[in-house]
Amino acid sequence: MSTKHAKSATLFIRNREQEQWHNETLWFVRQKRDNMAMRIPEWEDLRELAGKIKMHTVSRLDFYLEMFSSEAERNGITVHWAKDAREHNEIVYSILEKHQVKKLVKSKSMLTEECLLNPYLIEKGIEVVESDLGERILQLMGEHPSHIVMPAIHKKREEVGKLFEEKMDSEKGNSDPTYLTHTARRYLRREFLTADAAMTGANFGVAQTGEVVVCTNEGNADMGTSLCKLHIVSMGIEKIVPDLKSLGVFTRLLARSATGQPSTTYTSHYRKPKEGGEMHIVIVDNGRSEIKGDSEHVQTLKCIRCGACMNTCPVYRRSGGYSYTYFIPGPVGINLGMLKCPGKYYDNVSACSLCYSCNNVCPVKIDLADQIYRWRQNLDSLRKADRTKKLMSKGMKFLFTRPALYRTVLKMAPAINYLPRIFVYNKLNAWGYGRELPRFAGESFTSMWKKGKIRKTNKQ
Amino acid sequence: MSSKNDIINNIRRHVSTEYDMPEIRVEAVKFDNPVAEFLEISRSVGGDAVMLKEGEDINTFIRALYPKAVTVATNLSGITIPSFNPDETDDPHSLDGVELAIVKGEFGVAENGCVWIPQNVKQKALYFIAENLVIVLDKNRIVNNMHEAYERIAASDYGFGVYISGPSKTADIEQALVIGAHGAKSVMIILY
Repeated sequence: MSTKHAKSATLFIRNREQEQWHNETLWFVRQKRDNMAMRIPEWEDLRELAGKIKMHTVSRLDFYLEMFSSEAERNGITVHWAKDAREHNEIVYSILEKHQVKKLVKSKSMLTEECLLNPYLIEKGIEVVESDLGERILQLMGEHPSHIVMPAIHKKREEVGKLFEEKMDSEKGNSDPTYLTHTARRYLRREFLTADAAMTGANFGVAQTGEVVVCTNEGNADMGTSLCKLHIVSMGIEKIVPDLKSLGVFTRLLARSATGQPSTTYTSHYRKPKEGGEMHIVIVDNGRSEIKGDSEHVQTLKCIRCGACMNTCPVYRRSGGYSYTYFIPGPVGINLGMLKCPGKYYDNVSACSLCYSCNNVCPVKIDLADQIYRWRQNLDSLRKADRTKKLMSKGMKFLFTRPALYRTVLKMAPAINYLPRIFVYNKLNAWGYGRELPRFAGESFTSMWKKGKIRKTNKQ
Repeated sequence: MSSKNDIINNIRRHVSTEYDMPEIRVEAVKFDNPVAEFLEISRSVGGDAVMLKEGEDINTFIRALYPKAVTVATNLSGITIPSFNPDETDDPHSLDGVELAIVKGEFGVAENGCVWIPQNVKQKALYFIAENLVIVLDKNRIVNNMHEAYERIAASDYGFGVYISGPSKTADIEQALVIGAHGAKSVMIILY
């Protein structure tokens, strides 16, 4: 029995060339991250500190959220609270409706993906324009991100070229990334100039000052927010950091971990509405406050959405973001999906080799792999354990608790080496799929030991 | 208000282990020559940075860099090359088409090439909408790292502020780095 992840991954790796490109490209990003980390002697101290600041903030989240909202309000920002995705979408729409907004320009926000905001607003008749290049490409293709930082990492330049020919009137057959990016620049510039409102996510919300920090390389968040009078921010409750001093720790870690840059091009601090304009922050829970009470998984609330765990994950690199059933893929996505709805997203917990690489690169030291292991241990209680593997485990338990039977079976085992392949590599043996089994030795260690064939060798 | 209460109460209901706020005292990287480091990093992130030579005129320098730029916007009094004052416009949209904007930076950060600009023009759109951006920066105002940077701005009262490190860029098509996504296609930092 294969999980949905395994089935989708089978499709992804069918295109060997694409699989190899995806794997190598993301590994290259991981290497850039390493180069950046190695330039900072205090890197590991920073990670430790960042993790501790986040755990502290999460444990006092009520206190910091109230501080954040009252400071923001004092600065003239309107703060809204949304318990779930529906309430978030309704709040955003009501603000847009009040301002008679026809066109909304957005910068990248995984939270609005989570809330399915775009289809909701489009249904209401609002034109929604994603302005991050990768997001725009996917929006025009009718698809969703396959990576949280590099959303269109699964797309080839030729596909983008073809799309732009159709949507942006670009030259036929030209798939040069520079040409295509500059075409999109011209095209999206018109959108920025004609938009009525701008929406951004938030990388950080600073409790002490009530400001929101947004990091981009393209400058799209700033183009939108500096041209439009209305700025709406969607922010998850876990984005809070206590003060500017803490923020310094996170801004040092974020871009280095995400893309291997010393900093994003733009790190924008929005503290007050622009002159004559309005700024709204929608603080969203949508299940996050529940996680606080889950001691085994509370650490996921530390996540700063850098994507480093995806870039390093051997399973993600070789199976692509779409193989996961939750909208956030990779190690952190596996955990977030399970926290959202285990019965729906349990397929992803198998997408992990427990290599622990994610734990080792995570800038806030989330115990990602440990959590995945724990989910797996609980699969049976969710009635989601693989039936074949369960049967095999039962068989093994039966065998391993009966020494006489075990010895007999072991004696006979080498015969498997001579069986026709069909008897070993078939549907009954999940472990024989996609890999070669080792050969059974002619004689067991125990039997060799008893016959004195094993000699102790003393060191020195 | 009820949703706020529900969220806050739900957070409180889930009593978890309380973790203390760690003391933020980082033995952070410092440079023997922060200015040299700043210049090097600024170049490595796709931008450029130069130190104005003794006696060199900043206007001559900028003119030589952008000989063809017609639409130049600046509110800096020391700039004498033909330009207009962007603060005279009430509509940020009218700044579309500005070929060169010359603005002042507050301080630079050696470890990542960031320049802190608390909004010092009427329309912040200027920083992003101009095709090319020149940032003028006092060479004595380079800090080592982001910890020192945030210490500097801790007491300041900005409505909007931005760290800019190099030109606008993207790698969203096959991870191929392209300069000039939505913001400035070139950023030149002039230290004086």
